[in-house]
Amino acid sequence: MRQPSVIARRVAAASVSLVLAAGAAACGPEDNDAKSSGGDSTPHKGGTLTVLNSEPQTDFDPARLYTSGGGNVPSLVFRTLTTRNRESGAAGAKVVPDLATDTGRPNKDATVWTYTLKKGLKYEDGTAITSADIKYGIERSFAPELSGGAPYLRDWLVGAADYQGPYKDKGGLDAIETPDDRTIVFHLNKPEGEFPFLATQTQFAPVPKAKDTGTKYEEHPVSSGPYKVVKNENDGETVLLERNTHWSASTDAERKAYPDKIDVRSGLDASVINQRLSASQGADSAAVTTDTNLGPAELAKVTGDKELAARVGTGHFGYTNYIAFNPTVKPFNNVKVRQAISYAIDRSSVVNAAGGSSLAEAATTFLPNQKSFGYEPYDLFPAGDSGNAAKAKELLKEAGYPNGLTVTLTHNNAQNFKTSPEIATAIQDALKKAGITVKLQGLEDNNYSDTVHNVKTEPGFFLSAWGADWPSGGPFLAPIFDGRQIVKDGANFNSGLLNDKSVNAEIDAINKLTDLDAAAKRWGALDKKIGEQALTVPLFHPVYKRLVGKDIKNVVISDWTGVLDISQVAVK
Amino acid sequence: MSEALVAVETPGAAVPGVSGAGQFWRRLRAQRAAMVAAGVVALLVLVALAAPLLTALEGQDPNTYHSSLVDSARGGVPIGSLGGISGDHWLGVEPQTGRDLFARLVYGARVSLGVALAATIVQVLIGVVVGVSAALGSRWVDQLLSRFTDVIVALPLMIMSLALLAIVPSSFPRPVLVALVIGLIGWGTIAKIVRAQTLTLKQLDHVAAARLSGWGTWRIARRELLPGIAAPIITYAALLVPSNISAEAALSFLGVGVKPPTPSWGQMLTAADVWYQAAPQYLLLPAGALFLTVLALTVLGDGVRTALDPRAASRLRVGTGRKREAKA
Repeated sequence: MRQPSVIARRVAAASVSLVLAAGAAACGPEDNDAKSSGGDSTPHKGGTLTVLNSEPQTDFDPARLYTSGGGNVPSLVFRTLTTRNRESGAAGAKVVPDLATDTGRPNKDATVWTYTLKKGLKYEDGTAITSADIKYGIERSFAPELSGGAPYLRDWLVGAADYQGPYKDKGGLDAIETPDDRTIVFHLNKPEGEFPFLATQTQFAPVPKAKDTGTKYEEHPVSSGPYKVVKNENDGETVLLERNTHWSASTDAERKAYPDKIDVRSGLDASVINQRLSASQGADSAAVTTDTNLGPAELAKVTGDKELAARVGTGHFGYTNYIAFNPTVKPFNNVKVRQAISYAIDRSSVVNAAGGSSLAEAATTFLPNQKSFGYEPYDLFPAGDSGNAAKAKELLKEAGYPNGLTVTLTHNNAQNFKTSPEIATAIQDALKKAGITVKLQGLEDNNYSDTVHNVKTEPGFFLSAWGADWPSGGPFLAPIFDGRQIVKDGANFNSGLLNDKSVNAEIDAINKLTDLDAAAKRWGALDKKIGEQALTVPLFHPVYKRLVGKDIKNVVISDWTGVLDISQVAVK
Repeated sequence: MSEALVAVETPGAAVPGVSGAGQFWRRLRAQRAAMVAAGVVALLVLVALAAPLLTALEGQDPNTYHSSLVDSARGGVPIGSLGGISGDHWLGVEPQTGRDLFARLVYGARVSLGVALAATIVQVLIGVVVGVSAALGSRWVDQLLSRFTDVIVALPLMIMSLALLAIVPSSFPRPVLVALVIGLIGWGTIAKIVRAQTLTLKQLDHVAAARLSGWGTWRIARRELLPGIAAPIITYAALLVPSNISAEAALSFLGVGVKPPTPSWGQMLTAADVWYQAAPQYLLLPAGALFLTVLALTVLGDGVRTALDPRAASRLRVGTGRKREAKA
């Protein structure tokens, strides 16, 4: 998550398109409130599932994909050592074994991780999957021409910092051992209790060395999952998947693989996707989307229609939209000014600007409101629903601004409902009541991320958002608050420039834990502790509303991805 | 055609450009559509000027959020019928924010009309200076200015504006900038018309006489030529205003016009386009206002052109005395 390209990809992969359009009915609870309209809701095998997406699957090489939990379409083709639990809601935020028999066996300080492959694993051509293939798959993700994945492997594996991939460096990575065909051992340069989460990413998919065609491999990647790629046209715009007959459900507890074929059509406008899904005509009746959300206006329309409302699934993804302060810029160097703004914020108008209470939940914590992240509820500067202007004024007075002050809020001009003008003007209106005049400075999309993620140009007061690579407190808090992750030249996400020894030490201590529940509790406590410094004002956590075609059954939306899991969907 | 002939036969009817203000008003008044359009334009200008008064009368302002007036669970659609129209909010409220639509609409009129008028003034000033200079200057000056005008005419307004508006720092006052950009890109046609008209006038006896009496170029331009080109300039300017309003709306629609929270019709259209099914009045209000304004200005501009064009005016049978005769 460190290079700008990475954040761009991440955001693209995880949520931009999701948030772009938002909105559906049932304003309610987290999980599976989508039902199929037919009387018989038992899913059956067969049929063709159509996937209508806005983002084309431009990469289909497991080395190049930057995914959370293995992705959606890619996860139908690539099995990995571990994977996300394919269940709705909080249960879906767990990591479970996939190719491996368990989620990994660590040594005492979590620096060595050992995995054993299940028996009888086969590729689409019937040949056996070996541990050496997984090692090779990881090694080729280090090749410069196959870049694009997350940076963790390079950071964590012993001696991998300068490794150039198997094409240049035939020797391979010594950090990965394969003592036999079913065993693979990883040696890390520091304790990482969350290694099982990393092993869900597509870089951990097996690649048979004999079939590797380098950059051309993505045209026909060798499948280890329930489907194989039959057609991939226009750089991932049209992808057709058919059953891989050598895949066996007995070795794969996670993927249901009900449809016979999966037809992915992308490059579509979000409003077109939602319109087609709501009309559900022809093949669209058996269609879903894995990257498009209902927008506020669409939500308003869908809620008025019972039939449509029943076809909406609700998803959560670990994501927080917040105001970031740069404490080296006046007057935000004064903690009282930061607290005053925290008190003055009107979360109900911000939530409405983001699409209303069905599409956003007010946030008072930096960590997403999910157990897997270690969520511990706290509200250190209670602003209520509509802001506490009186308390804010009092703090401003103490800070030496009895007559209020004027500040500039930097926002993105892109209409993304996250860092966009709508959110900025809602904040502007709320702060006015507390005597704070907000001037708005809008920047164009690319310019925005370059400006706010550069320590030299970072504004004092701006809108930001963060999503983690997997549902845990570590990748959520460390990049934003670990003082050693302040990047002097390059993309910096520690906007508050916090370099607190006790925070850094606690991050190291938690990373050593292999008991993820215990780790989660400590991430939650750390979040609260950092929150006292008021370096951010958490605004809201987005909620996603997914419309599906009328013949769709078995809708599963996990809190890990927040999108409909197509490995579970049935069309009959 | 027969009327045109009649006009020629009638003494005192066909003196181009020097018909006098009185005759102009008579001819304009004779066109009912133009008068209605003039009334609408006057009303719009009044509304724009009196925006603070009108919103004070309503008891609202354009930028205050009203979270309680929108249904948060339904994406922020206004609560109540017809987009939340009530005694407090005459035209309802904006989805998601609950801001008063009447206030935003009348304040938006300020931006739309103000920017369009300012842009038109810039266009006319540059167009007249360039056109007259080209017509009166040496061959080289004429060549240079005419080719430059050709280049300006060939520039696609929208694309150039997008580029210009994107590179100027956001600290520059946005409405002024939008007016300047539209003005600086859209003067080409008026310069061409002025140049052509000046060249024609230059050949006339009274100009030649002035030149022979030793008048300087500047004095000739001011005293002898400007009155002659005033009619086409006024006509063309009247038609430029509505096209500039559309340009401003389009730029705001594309997100490079005036910046939020300043209300503008184009910006309201952008925000409203996804709401056309759930909250139609949100889209219809700015669209209707824009339509009405552009239509009224176009009809008025057309009326002005007719009133200033003696041949067209003669068809109205005013200023010739014939209308009254016919009645009598």
